[in-house]
Amino acid sequence: MSRLAQSLLLVLLGGAVLRISLLSTTYLNYVKPGFRPFLVAAGLVVFVLGAVGLFQEWRGKASAGHSHGPGVAWLLGLPVFAIFLIAPPALGAFAARSEEAPARPPAVALDAYGPLASGQVTDMPLSEFIGRAWGDSGRSLAGRPVRLTGFVVPSKKKDRWYVARIQIACCAADGIPLKVAVLDADRPPENTWVEVTGTWIDPELEELPQGTVAPELTATSVTVIPAPVEPYE
Amino acid sequence: MFVVVIGLLVVGRFVLSPYLTAPALQTWATIFVAICVQALPFLVFGVLLSAAITAFVPPSFWTRALPKRPIMAVPVAGAAGAVLPGCECASVPVASGLMARGVAPAAALAFLLASPAINPVVVVATVVAFPGQPMMAVARFGASLLVAVLAGWLWLRFGKSDWLRIPSRPADAGSKWANFRDAMQHDFLHAGGFLVVGGMTAATMNVIVPRSWLDAVAGVPWLSVLALALLAVILSICSEADAFVAASLTAFSPTARLAFLVVGPMVDLKLIALQAGTFGRRFAIRFIPVTFALAVLVSVAVGGVLL
Repeated sequence: MSRLAQSLLLVLLGGAVLRISLLSTTYLNYVKPGFRPFLVAAGLVVFVLGAVGLFQEWRGKASAGHSHGPGVAWLLGLPVFAIFLIAPPALGAFAARSEEAPARPPAVALDAYGPLASGQVTDMPLSEFIGRAWGDSGRSLAGRPVRLTGFVVPSKKKDRWYVARIQIACCAADGIPLKVAVLDADRPPENTWVEVTGTWIDPELEELPQGTVAPELTATSVTVIPAPVEPYE
Repeated sequence: MFVVVIGLLVVGRFVLSPYLTAPALQTWATIFVAICVQALPFLVFGVLLSAAITAFVPPSFWTRALPKRPIMAVPVAGAAGAVLPGCECASVPVASGLMARGVAPAAALAFLLASPAINPVVVVATVVAFPGQPMMAVARFGASLLVAVLAGWLWLRFGKSDWLRIPSRPADAGSKWANFRDAMQHDFLHAGGFLVVGGMTAATMNVIVPRSWLDAVAGVPWLSVLALALLAVILSICSEADAFVAASLTAFSPTARLAFLVVGPMVDLKLIALQAGTFGRRFAIRFIPVTFALAVLVSVAVGGVLL
């Protein structure tokens, strides 16, 4: 790999990273929002490193020796290709694999859930809904209307579909699907983002099931919304 | 050559994009890009630090900072890993920079294994991910440091120097800044290429291995420890995030989850690619299985006592 190719590759890679982090919000499809400053800094360092190399090449002042870089570095072109060509979207219904039991969200201390206001609709993240449905012996969800936001995942069972969202801790590789079964409503197309308003269906068991089934919700209204800027929970 | 590449990018953007939409392929691409994008800042940080070590820190500093006898230098270097806040992608170039500057390989290896698992950022993340179970962070810290020191000592006793390829440095380019730039460009392109190999493998495993296989073995104690250790290798999650994933694997015993946390920062697919690329295949084929076995055994022992 010649010095010129090395420098150009660095400029392209740095440019790709700056494009998804500094110039747009595409980076939110891959990592947590807090990553932005680090991505911008890293992209700048790589970009400047390549630009300085190009500048020296142009002045014909390439440093002596070691003019050939490692061949494996060509592979760095792959993420550049992926970013510009596939422009991978946020994880969706395929990653939420419809019939698999949803993973239990990381435990939150149960007393962190306050009582819900009665008589008005409460907006709620899916993780809180699942946490309350599974982990709250006080059954604080019973009879309280809530509004959940997520994308549509079909179910094999006829009477339901899922509203789902991926929870990430750091990047999309550690995503955990969160799913709530929606009953009594027609299913919009797969992967559509929706707001579902409804109430929890109390399974009326002595012991609440721990993470083996998705909690159920009977819907009163389903509204199609545009995909949010921040796709993960 | 590069004109062709850029031309392909432009043409591909308009011609190929409609065909690259199969859900499995898109999921693969998302995870692949996510791993690369997420690791990049850490890799850049590690490469900056490593290039700074080679260009600006004189070799005599290390002979004074570390104990003379390698057997003592190993635990000191392992504990020194606690001060480098980063994940495993940063530690490989730093360890190779240390070796190139004359630090005993066994000590640099102890640093390599310890630093991604015991630094303050990772310890805090572990405490946050396991509310009400502070012993998990303690056990992780202790077990990881123990594995790193044991692996360093084993290398000291049995390792042969011709197994290990101490990375060559670019020729002296004159000024310190020119050396810094050359070292950085070389290390970044090298480690970055292998990071891409690891990212592709991890994304592939992530998409094709169904999680339901895991639930089948969760109930069997020995099998569950091995299963989570292997999962840590396959998923290749950054050590600053793996505690949150471990916390979500509630079907498994605390000891099995400890094994996940200890193995992950030391052995995973992207790290195997990085180490094999940096230190040579003859090194990786010996060092990685030994580290894996040590990590599993120590996790079981520490988990049995503390958890």
